[in-house]
Amino acid sequence: MDSNNDEALDIIVTNVVATFRTRCHLNLRTIALNGINVIYKPEFGKVLMKLRKPKITASIWSSGKIICTGATSEEESKLGARRLARCLQKLGFKVNFSAYKVVNVLAVCSMPFAIRLIDFTKNNRPIASYEPELHPAATYRIKTLKATIQVFSTGSITVTGPNVQNVATAVEQVYPLLYECQKPLCKK
Amino acid sequence: MISTSGEGLSLPRVTCPNHPEACLVEDYRAGDMICPECGLVVGDRVIDVGSEWRTFSNEKALKDPSRVGDAQNPLLNGGDLTTMISKGTGAASFDEFGNSKYQNRRTMSSSDRAMLNAFKEISTMADRINLPRNIVDRTNNLFKQVYEQKSLKGRANDAIASACLYIACRQEGVPRTFKEICAVSRISKKEIGRCFKLILKALETSVDLITTGDFMSRFCSNLGLPKQVQMAATYIARKAVEMDLVPGRSPISVAAAAIYMASQASAEKKTQKEIGDIAGVADVTIRQSYRLIYPRAAELFPPDFKFDTPVEKLPQL
Repeated sequence: MDSNNDEALDIIVTNVVATFRTRCHLNLRTIALNGINVIYKPEFGKVLMKLRKPKITASIWSSGKIICTGATSEEESKLGARRLARCLQKLGFKVNFSAYKVVNVLAVCSMPFAIRLIDFTKNNRPIASYEPELHPAATYRIKTLKATIQVFSTGSITVTGPNVQNVATAVEQVYPLLYECQKPLCKK
Repeated sequence: MISTSGEGLSLPRVTCPNHPEACLVEDYRAGDMICPECGLVVGDRVIDVGSEWRTFSNEKALKDPSRVGDAQNPLLNGGDLTTMISKGTGAASFDEFGNSKYQNRRTMSSSDRAMLNAFKEISTMADRINLPRNIVDRTNNLFKQVYEQKSLKGRANDAIASACLYIACRQEGVPRTFKEICAVSRISKKEIGRCFKLILKALETSVDLITTGDFMSRFCSNLGLPKQVQMAATYIARKAVEMDLVPGRSPISVAAAAIYMASQASAEKKTQKEIGDIAGVADVTIRQSYRLIYPRAAELFPPDFKFDTPVEKLPQL
């Protein structure tokens, strides 16, 4: 039924990753020398620029492609990306802000109950995978939404997906499955 | 008697006149193909692919009289029927400087060389932890499937071999921990884990979850604990998981803590460090898991357990 029944589940978006292009070649040395809050990584061929206002870290390549991470919402990510482009423009490059795309959104959510991972994995055999030796969470991948959900035994889940809408849908999809495998509250 | 008829051929070309659909059964010792329905010998004088001579291990008395070489390994090699030129024996096979005239005897089956190398590596790894032949065969089969699929082509063959070994042990019901496989392989645990997930995806199989009981007999015998203690530890670990005292803990850590508790309650006390060494868990991990099961210790022991140290006197860390 309506999966987020009485108590609405708080889905907190913690990270939004976006890429965009400046359509012009960037001289990394110039940026490294003249920019503020930059870290030059010559062995990877990129410059990291951190912004304070929307707390954003951007990896800048000399080809003009930029990956922007650390934002907490899609709007903030767009804002940060534009601010970054403006920064580069002030440094003297002919920046053309184009091809902005949100690539990944990470959200955490906490279920009000604990979860029995072994039962959860058994019920959802091929889609869910749990390797206690490698990682304490069970991973559930939804192919249609291209979302991955990691389920921990405490009831917290982390969801990653291509946009915020998918993430919300993924949580709604997985909620009934988790509800079935919950641990009864009166333990001990 | 027999094995099934040829790998790769769906039906032999001869069929029984009375039962054309019946799959013929091959009796390689007599060289016959026999219809299973009526027992008619359909084909005879089929070429025997077994070995020509049986050689027992005395010191190479005479030259090896076998002219056909090793037994064919058709399942794994794609049936290489190649001809190699061996080193010459007469005087004519050497040129002026004393080098042999025909040197090229190395290129056997270049396409399968990597696979053969991997089989050798698998055999070496399995030998280090004394794995039986059936697991090694299963590993070889898995490796062959993965190799032919080519979806993991970029990965190191050793990593894929180690991951196949891990999967084979799991599938046979005697799982080995990643750390145990790591100990006999040069590949890191991380890489083996990655290859493991990739192989499961490529072959579209899944494996059963590990339980604490799978490791009890191995860990306990390595520690030299008597059967009573082993059974007690198995019971403790199972109960702890059922009562869900240890959510989110790896079954290996729970097993190690259970062994610790059982051994401390018996005459054969083992330290956390010793158990940690055998199981491949850090002793702080054992301590953490032990702290979780300690409060309910009295309920966890099997009812008929003989306590050398009573439950109250169990060490509390």
